[in-house]
Amino acid sequence: MTDARLLPIILLLPFLGSLGAAFLPTLGRNKAAALSGIVTLAGLISMACFYPALAQGETVRLVIPWLSSLDFDLTLRLNGFSWLFSILVLGIGVLVVLYARYYMSPEDPVPRFFSFLLAFMGSMLGMVLSGNLIQIAFFWELTSLFSFLLIGYWHHNQSARDGARMALVVTAFGGLCLLVGFMLLGHIVGSYDVDRVLRAGSLIRGHALYLPALILILIGAFTKSAQFPFHFWLPHAMAAPTPVSAYLHSATMVKAGIYVLILLWPVLAGTQAWYLIVATAGLATLLVGAWAAIFQQDLKGLLAYSTISHLGLITLLLGLGSPLAAVAAIFHTVNHATFKASLFMAVGIIDHETGTRDLSKLSGLARFMPITATLAMVAAAAMAGVPLLNGFLSKEMFLAEALEAHSGTILDSMLPVLATLASVFSVLYSVRFIHQTFLGPAPPDLPHEPHEAPHWMRFPIEVLVLLCLLVGIIPALTIGPFLGTAVHSVLGARTPSYSLAIWHGFSLPMLMSATALIGGVTLYALFGARLNTFTQSPIIGYFKGRRTFEIVLAAIIDGARVLHRLFGTRQLQVQLRLLAITAIIAGALPFLNLGYTRGPRPDTLVDPSFALLWMVAGASAIGAAWQAKFHRLAALMLIGVCGLVTCISFVWLSAPDLALTQLLVEIVTLVLLLLGLRWLPKRLPDIWPEGHKPLRVYVRRGRDLMLALLGGGGTALLAYAMMTRDATDGLSRYFMEHAYPGGGGTNVVNVILVDFRAFDTYGEITVLAIVALTVFTLLRRFRPAAESVELPEQQRRQNAADEAREDRDRGDTVRHYLLIPRVLMEWLFPVIVTGALYLLVRGHDLPGGGFAAGVTASIGIIVLYMASGTRSVESRLIVQPVRWVSAGLLCATATGAAAWLFGYPFLTSDFSYLHLPIIGAVPMASALLFDIGVFAVVVGTTVLILIALAHQSIRSPRPPRPPEGADEGAG
Amino acid sequence: MSGWMQHLIVAPILLPLAVSGLLLAFDERRRTLKRVVSLATVGVLVGIAVMLLWLVTDGFSLDPEAAPRVYRLGNWPAPFGIVLVADRLSALMLLLTSLLGFTALFYSMARWDRSGPRFHVLFLLLLTGVNGAFLTGDIFNLFVFFEVLLAASYGLVLHGSGTERTSASLHYITINIATSLLFLIGVAMIYATTGTLNMADLATRIPAVPSANLALLESGAAILGMAFLVKSGMWPLGFWLSRTYAAAAPPVAALFAIMTKVGIYIILRLTSLLFGDASGGAAGFTDNWLIWAGLATIAFGTIGILSARTLSQIAGHYLLVSSGILLASIGIGGHAVTAALLFYLVSSTLAVGALYLIIEPVARNVEEDDMVPGISEPVFDDEYTGALEEDEDEAGIVIPGTIAVLGGAFIFCTLLLSGLPPLSGFIAKFAIIDALFQHTSIAPTSWLLIALVICSGLATLIGLTRAGIDLLWTPAEDRPPRLSVIEVAPIGLLLATCLALMLSAGPIFLYMETTAIGLADRSAYIEAVLHPPHVGEAGS
Amino acid sequence: MEIVLALAIGILTASGLWLLFRPRTFQVVLGLALLSYAVNLFILAAGRLRIGAPPIVGKGTVDPAVYADPVPQALILTAIVISFATTALLLVVLLASRGLTGTDHVDGEEGEP
Repeated sequence: MTDARLLPIILLLPFLGSLGAAFLPTLGRNKAAALSGIVTLAGLISMACFYPALAQGETVRLVIPWLSSLDFDLTLRLNGFSWLFSILVLGIGVLVVLYARYYMSPEDPVPRFFSFLLAFMGSMLGMVLSGNLIQIAFFWELTSLFSFLLIGYWHHNQSARDGARMALVVTAFGGLCLLVGFMLLGHIVGSYDVDRVLRAGSLIRGHALYLPALILILIGAFTKSAQFPFHFWLPHAMAAPTPVSAYLHSATMVKAGIYVLILLWPVLAGTQAWYLIVATAGLATLLVGAWAAIFQQDLKGLLAYSTISHLGLITLLLGLGSPLAAVAAIFHTVNHATFKASLFMAVGIIDHETGTRDLSKLSGLARFMPITATLAMVAAAAMAGVPLLNGFLSKEMFLAEALEAHSGTILDSMLPVLATLASVFSVLYSVRFIHQTFLGPAPPDLPHEPHEAPHWMRFPIEVLVLLCLLVGIIPALTIGPFLGTAVHSVLGARTPSYSLAIWHGFSLPMLMSATALIGGVTLYALFGARLNTFTQSPIIGYFKGRRTFEIVLAAIIDGARVLHRLFGTRQLQVQLRLLAITAIIAGALPFLNLGYTRGPRPDTLVDPSFALLWMVAGASAIGAAWQAKFHRLAALMLIGVCGLVTCISFVWLSAPDLALTQLLVEIVTLVLLLLGLRWLPKRLPDIWPEGHKPLRVYVRRGRDLMLALLGGGGTALLAYAMMTRDATDGLSRYFMEHAYPGGGGTNVVNVILVDFRAFDTYGEITVLAIVALTVFTLLRRFRPAAESVELPEQQRRQNAADEAREDRDRGDTVRHYLLIPRVLMEWLFPVIVTGALYLLVRGHDLPGGGFAAGVTASIGIIVLYMASGTRSVESRLIVQPVRWVSAGLLCATATGAAAWLFGYPFLTSDFSYLHLPIIGAVPMASALLFDIGVFAVVVGTTVLILIALAHQSIRSPRPPRPPEGADEGAG
Repeated sequence: MSGWMQHLIVAPILLPLAVSGLLLAFDERRRTLKRVVSLATVGVLVGIAVMLLWLVTDGFSLDPEAAPRVYRLGNWPAPFGIVLVADRLSALMLLLTSLLGFTALFYSMARWDRSGPRFHVLFLLLLTGVNGAFLTGDIFNLFVFFEVLLAASYGLVLHGSGTERTSASLHYITINIATSLLFLIGVAMIYATTGTLNMADLATRIPAVPSANLALLESGAAILGMAFLVKSGMWPLGFWLSRTYAAAAPPVAALFAIMTKVGIYIILRLTSLLFGDASGGAAGFTDNWLIWAGLATIAFGTIGILSARTLSQIAGHYLLVSSGILLASIGIGGHAVTAALLFYLVSSTLAVGALYLIIEPVARNVEEDDMVPGISEPVFDDEYTGALEEDEDEAGIVIPGTIAVLGGAFIFCTLLLSGLPPLSGFIAKFAIIDALFQHTSIAPTSWLLIALVICSGLATLIGLTRAGIDLLWTPAEDRPPRLSVIEVAPIGLLLATCLALMLSAGPIFLYMETTAIGLADRSAYIEAVLHPPHVGEAGS
Repeated sequence: MEIVLALAIGILTASGLWLLFRPRTFQVVLGLALLSYAVNLFILAAGRLRIGAPPIVGKGTVDPAVYADPVPQALILTAIVISFATTALLLVVLLASRGLTGTDHVDGEEGEP
């Protein structure tokens, strides 16, 4: 018995070879061919060594753990049947490689070709050797992938690209279905292991999920094996180089579906559903393929359709569900592979030598290439099912089974007739192939003068044809034992008794094939000449698989685009509305389920002045909302009122820190917005075409109002619900108790910020820093709209006035503008800065802190700017905001990291009190250092943003190059 | 965990932050220095992530007993101080982030980091934010780090400027500011009902919330969840995503692939921690919504992929699809599903990153209709212009068979994204479906999810093959695109990682399973945070 | 008091939302400003109302019951800073977008006003 560990090597070889070939020089035709040949031959020989063991009915298994937790281990499983298939793959592989060496032209970058070919071979082997369903699906998709690459090998021509894409989409779709089907099987059986699945036949057939699983698997098999109605991709795959057609699209890959059907035949077959689906599909394919083959003008097209029809024949046999039929199926699979591969190669030679594959152009080639002609004729005869050739034997079995079929449906009676009809067709197109190509007068005009192909190019055909003959004449001595092993490994105990004799005496099948032969020949004699005139096959020719495919695909894409427009949007407003709606729903649902109640906590009595305050604020908020469009400045002021009232309420509700910070931020924000206003377009009242606002505007605004009210009411209710519930005893108690003993500060809020939750503050200053950088970057490239670039109205007037009077220079007025306030404000600067520092140091105990201090300081700087103008300020004091930011970040980080030196975590604080004259005790907590970092960052950021904005006004812009959609002015 | 080792947990946040602070002190002209430093930093981050992985798994062991590691900032005991928690999940996310970040940063050296100032700083700060979000154990601190990563992302989207970027980021910023407000409202409501912000503490307090306050709590949680759903691009909140990412510079977009996953991570963390099976009245009230939202998102993403006109649109909508798959899987729940979705998360993130990187070289010759306009030159002379505006040719060497390299990489991406063998995408898809089949009775939603997973894969295949054939196979008269090694290497690295995922799927999947188990029983997490072996003394 | 504050929050939110849905960038910015006031007050409300009891503790032992809850205040401080920063950024972005697209419509192109 041969060591099972040889299997992974056999499996790996082609892939390694593929890798090797990929890295060969572009024109290394011989090297690549030699490499591939050796690799394949090695695989073939070592595979052959397994036979003796298998002949005893053993199964060689090898499990390499991979994804055990998902029951997806690399399981290699070899029995008689998979052995037969692997021999097919490797054997024909060797011949195809040899053939391709001569077929591919020297300037073609063939290493790539051979690399793909080997990779495909490996995938095919992997699939055949799989002992795990998922693994089968895995390699199945790989074969699709490499078939795609091989069909698209000559991707400079359109047909190759389309054919490749179609093949990929169809087979990959099938593969996905197959995968799901297999997983359903696994779900039913509880394992993906093929042997365990095969043992669970009755369980599977009885399970509720049997039908879905069956259908999914069949879709997979049918797409791969080009069964009706998925057959259309195969003819278009003929755009591939002929060796590929011979190998993938007749001998091996298209048999993958058949392989799976045979493999699972014991567990899936035998039900009504199986019979109806599989047999019908097979029959349809058999007839459609054969019929279409008759009318092809392209030799490869003829062979492609004939392949389809033969695949249909095999499927039909499997559909019948009787063991004998299964035997016939396996047998015919092998036979078809041999004669069809040889035929493709022959056609390749013809194409190569004459430069055309057009049947109507060809004739009488026998006199130029006698050997090839003879070989092709024998092979074609086998295809037609002429006695003493292998095709005949399996055809006989098929006809016998067609008679035997007992399903109790109408099919029983029709099957024999249709089977005979199909055979008539196949005889017809075979005869046409032979006669049209090789016999008759010399061809009138061929692209170039035909002559015999080199011997080694013919050699593969000779081998295959020889096999056809041997199997056809002495089946029992040649294929017999191998077939027996294969059949037994599939059917096991159910293996029927069958004989491979050529002569069973006069029987009905005999009669049927005789009819087929005679019928075919006579039909050709009658209509042969006219067949050349057809551009498409009658009846089914109208069913244009490819066009339908393209149309369907296009329809899907267009549909998708419509849906995408329908369910998607690029407008900000819509997105914001959706956000609001979703939020409202999300917030409301729990209350809808559980009900809304106010909490037990009694209301604190309302202070009228507070209420009044908010009446004002509310009014101004509404006013702002109402006026923001046309009176920006007014709206801004109203917003400011709201902010102010918010500050006051903070004081009221015992949050002095918030009040302070809010106030300062308020000021800065206001300045920012004011600086921004300058660059916004003049807002003109909307002019409506009909003079009055269209209804849809009212509708839209009404909807927005609704949403706004819903949102507002919702938040109000939520807030009320929160405030009326008793506080749960949470973090705050601890903070209160430990603020001074643990954090060294009496202002708990500040202690939380710089100590308990200093990490938040740390992140917060990071945000500030980032924003500062972004703003700066953005403003470097800021291009104001043309009409807002020129000086403001007022300045222009003043300049005009200056020019009018000779004793003044242009711009003097602007320069001397606000003379007195300027002096005052400049004196103000140091005061403000001192105040800032004070806020900084006292922050730990009283309202204040790094942030407040930072903002204050930057306000000081703003004042300075406002007073004496950007230029003069910058001539005197150099602020390098980015440096400040950087220093602040580093300072905060360093403070935090210092704790490491004492073995404490990041930001662990330490504190003591420093007694200074006048000021008194100053808390010297390490937190203060941290706060200084915060201070620096805040100053840097605020100043950076403000300066950057302020600079825009004083810079003399470059002439703005005509920008994208120059400037439609104000909207 | 003692000595310097203990500080390892905070390193992923501090290191990039400190370095960027340092880089700010240097002038933009020191380009080489900035490149070297930042790349080195991200490289170190990868190392740190690996060490953390080693730490939280007790030396790469697979026993689920390995407890999460906790870092108490300011040495305050939880739940009062802010804690960082490193467990299997966060360690995994950190590793993913740093890997993606490294490749993206490397790629940006080709020329992108030069199309505007302060690229490296912003890049590092984004990493800071993301890492912080993955590590923190405190919902308000989470908010802070969300803001950090968002602010940085604003800067990065705008990097290189140009009209499309500006108006895309206008939308992006507005939506995210609004979302942040929702975040705050949610946090406030949760604090109002539970009185705490620490996640572990919340997990212990939520079961005790009186039924009268339950609605308030759930409403708060739901509003909070909005923030993360917007990040993850859930339909109908994710329309900004595709456009914003398409507008951003390729390396930025590649890095952004992780940002949708931040939202997913938080949802996974919070649903399992706060609303797991042991959460009393509030248990699993989110699940059904997550499932349906996820399904809708997958559907929309699939439609988007099919209707996409450019590769970047495909990539953007693929992100939606993956978010949808993840959300739905989170909603369905269970060990197997969680493990599978984690595997899928890793695989898909890397794959999309690779796709974003490869788009630009592939489409370099063909000018796509709505390609993002290049770098617009500044209008005002400014401090750094001198250093920034000279446009020297990138050190591109014409590799013979550029197309071959690109084609190979492109096919890899296609296989990964459409979940075809032999790469990790297939395993991820298989794992998810397998997990869904684990239940003896398969729910209709599961069937729907499976169908959508298959359809989305097929749609991706169709979309990408169409684009790939047009861009790579159609004979182009003009010379093959110039491709610099700096561009190929990172793509190769990402794809190699996916290959490694596939080859060592077994152990990796075991890791995911232990992670899922760890998520499911919250006790280990809560124990580690609230009842540490030794409580450090507060302050000094 | 509670009712007043709740109404205040409600009004601010409503006006903010209304402005948020408007097509002009400046309106959106103002809307966000209003919303952030509302949210700050909302967070404060999460700590329940307390009048005239700032959380500034004495140096001895303290009784938490008599002080306002400091935690929401700390949160608000952080929130204020961050919303200030992001508002500034948004402002600059809208100026840039206005400069590049020539309009102040949020979609960078004139839709319906």
